Amino acid sequence: MLQVQNIEKYYGSKNNVTKALNRISFSVETGEFIAIMGSSGSGKTTLLNCISTIDTISAGNIFLDGINIAELSQKDLARFRREKLGFVFQDFNLLDTLTIEENIGLALTLNHSDSHMVQKQIKKIAQKLGISDILDKFPYQVSGGQKQRTAVARAMVAGQSLILADEPTGALDSKASKNLLEIMSQMNQNLHVTILMVTHDAYSASYASRVLFLKDGRLFNELLRGNRSRSIFYHEILDVLALLGGDISDVI
Amino acid sequence: MTLSKLSIRNAKRQAQDYLIYFATIILATALIYSFNGLIFSDELLKLSQFMTSLPIVIVFCSIAVVCIIGWLVYYTTNFMLIKRSRELGTYILIGLENQQVAKLFLLENLIIGGSALLFGLFFGNFLFQTLRAILLALFHMPYTFRFSFSLRAAGLTLLYFIGIYFFAQLKSRKKIYSMKIYDLIYFERQNELAVIQKSPHRRKIFFFSIVLGIIGIFLLLMRNLPSGLIGAVCIILFLYGFFLSFSSGIPAWFEKRPAKKYTGQNLLLFRTLSAKLATMGIVMATIALLFTGVLIAQGTGFILSALFQNRAEQTSCFDLFISSADPNTDFYDYFHYIQSNIPITDSKEYQTYQGETSQITDLLSEVGKYFHSYPYDFLMKFSDYTALRTILGYPKVSLEPNTYLIHCMPYLKSKINTYSQPIKINNHTLTKGKTYTENFAQYLWNGNGQGFIIIVPDDLLLSRPISHTIYAAMTAEPISESQYYELSKIQDNRSEEDYDTLYAKAQSEREAASMTAIFVFPLYYLAFILTMTSATILTIQQLSECNHYRHQFCLLQKLGMEQKEIRQVLRQQFTIYYTMPAVPPLLIAIPFILNLGNATEPGTLTGISHPIIITAITLGLFFFIYSIYIIMAYTSLKQNVLPK
Repeated sequence: MLQVQNIEKYYGSKNNVTKALNRISFSVETGEFIAIMGSSGSGKTTLLNCISTIDTISAGNIFLDGINIAELSQKDLARFRREKLGFVFQDFNLLDTLTIEENIGLALTLNHSDSHMVQKQIKKIAQKLGISDILDKFPYQVSGGQKQRTAVARAMVAGQSLILADEPTGALDSKASKNLLEIMSQMNQNLHVTILMVTHDAYSASYASRVLFLKDGRLFNELLRGNRSRSIFYHEILDVLALLGGDISDVI
Repeated sequence: MTLSKLSIRNAKRQAQDYLIYFATIILATALIYSFNGLIFSDELLKLSQFMTSLPIVIVFCSIAVVCIIGWLVYYTTNFMLIKRSRELGTYILIGLENQQVAKLFLLENLIIGGSALLFGLFFGNFLFQTLRAILLALFHMPYTFRFSFSLRAAGLTLLYFIGIYFFAQLKSRKKIYSMKIYDLIYFERQNELAVIQKSPHRRKIFFFSIVLGIIGIFLLLMRNLPSGLIGAVCIILFLYGFFLSFSSGIPAWFEKRPAKKYTGQNLLLFRTLSAKLATMGIVMATIALLFTGVLIAQGTGFILSALFQNRAEQTSCFDLFISSADPNTDFYDYFHYIQSNIPITDSKEYQTYQGETSQITDLLSEVGKYFHSYPYDFLMKFSDYTALRTILGYPKVSLEPNTYLIHCMPYLKSKINTYSQPIKINNHTLTKGKTYTENFAQYLWNGNGQGFIIIVPDDLLLSRPISHTIYAAMTAEPISESQYYELSKIQDNRSEEDYDTLYAKAQSEREAASMTAIFVFPLYYLAFILTMTSATILTIQQLSECNHYRHQFCLLQKLGMEQKEIRQVLRQQFTIYYTMPAVPPLLIAIPFILNLGNATEPGTLTGISHPIIITAITLGLFFFIYSIYIIMAYTSLKQNVLPK
């Protein structure tokens, strides 16, 4: 579904160039749940922004469903984002003036969906995410976990093929985090939703089927969960993270 | 860094952030100074005896202006306090005392206010020159530019300014004194409470306020003081009720129509609107009330201005006009004074006569506002008519045998043209000839007829009873105020039963100019101040939400909204925001101005002064000033909030 080929991203001017992403390549299959991990400044959010077309790459190619997103015009990029991508941000990014129902419906409105069907679609997704009873509330009236589930609903309601989540549990307490991750995991397994999640939290990453580790803008390691239990996978992630603090040569 | 240095630096930053507010205070100061200049200008006050009332009217208006600008300063100061509470809290956190912070805040505001005062005085001088030029033109006096700075006017402006700032600063000082660090740091979380957002009576309040609004408008149109006052109260209740209940009414309406809500950009638009109304319903209602005041003041100003000018024009085609309804009168007393005091270049003494019928008067009675007080049509000898036309410099006319002419005011012409019946005088039948409409002193109670006069051959009037004896003259120089008062004294002494009609062109023009200065100038003064204050408050509110808008549009862009659509949403949100407080005032003011225009004497508001045109000019001027603020706010907001 997603192919990232040798992408590079530079910041700064001629004399002071910072390489945020350095020749990164990987691919994502439909229905995968991938976590991208790394410390602050490792380039994980930059990578997510480039995939989400919010930022541009300096070199390389990104293909999503066979489309090279670097070749799209501004207008096509906007359409691409609203039709193919769903976003879940750390700080929820819900509009305060809209109710929970309307925040979810916003994604459908942007897609110019049939206005008579909007409410039905919202109710359907809200039921799956367990937020049916708060649809008429405003974001400031609900908990952080409920806000994030609303964001997930908004990211999926228009049938987007790839959900990009940037530290989705960053602002949640442990109970709400667990709840959200389980819901995301269920969505992935039952509805075959493809998820690409950036996180620095090993516990969150342990819900993924594959974890990519970034360090200093380079792909540092990759872990596949396979048939192992989540608990074993979690400890493996912790081991890699321990190494991540050292030099690449320590691992190789 | 000392407190004063910090204050200067903050004041500079504030002036940039609140540029529109700063500009409004400068303009308001300029207006206050220029009107104060009128109070202390001997040159202008001596233009006419009527002008002695001008200072009192201007002082009363200035007191109202002080209250309005005081509200603006209080509102903006409070607003700045909320926006900067975190910063002020930080000052206390690092060890400054509350008193010192209050002093800092006061100093900043005084620096902003003081700079506005200086700029305002400077621009006010030019504005005063403009007012002086307009006034001199109204009095037909020559204008020469003379730069003069009136210390007394500046002193009075300073006094008003102290009044404006004193109240606002006292309130904010009190607030800062009693605040704890926590309050200051979290002050911006406080919001205006949505008074009846959740009220189960919302719908009732909404409908009740609409009904009150309709009743209020009708009462305002009834043209009498008690019903006008009750009407004004109803309008005030309507505006507050409407804006406070409307905010929760929109979501309720869309709740029942979900498909409409999710069509196009409706969702974003209606939610932004209802959120705005929920948090600033009272402010919106107050601004709508001020806009209503603006439109009514401007419209009334235009109507009065047109009325005074047109009245003066219509009564004063002759330099001097004396008329008496006593058929046996002579004007000896007047002539005695005139011969020795007023140089006459041309004059005519003549009579108007009573017609046998009132057929044209009856015809004109069908014209809505035509008013007559004599039960007959007025007649005039053709020889007198041609002599008067010669005096006035009008083209020569002829009278065909067995015909009559009609000279009427322009507004009656179309009705008279529909009339083709002959008239009979002494068994002699005359058919209708041409109709003329030049200015002919027909507006007067006892003029050349009332609105119209029939011109017939001289010999037919030999045996007709006289209606009025009239003396009309042109003078070598305009009749002075003192000459007019001497003539008035003669008029008073002669009056026993019927009062003579006495008009002097120069005096009518002086009266019109003075009335314009006394009634119209203050109305415009108030209207400008009200428009600027309201538009500034709306704009400050709008610009203060830059962060909210930026966040909203950034998110929408991420979610895939196209740039074109984002710009469209911003434009629409902006349009609705600025249209909302202007719509109810339009619904109130348009019928009011039209009604007031139609209440004037017939024939005075015609052509460019027609009530419909006056209404259009009023709206045009209002929207011109309003749109300057809107464009400034839109340009600034667009640059700051649209994602690149």
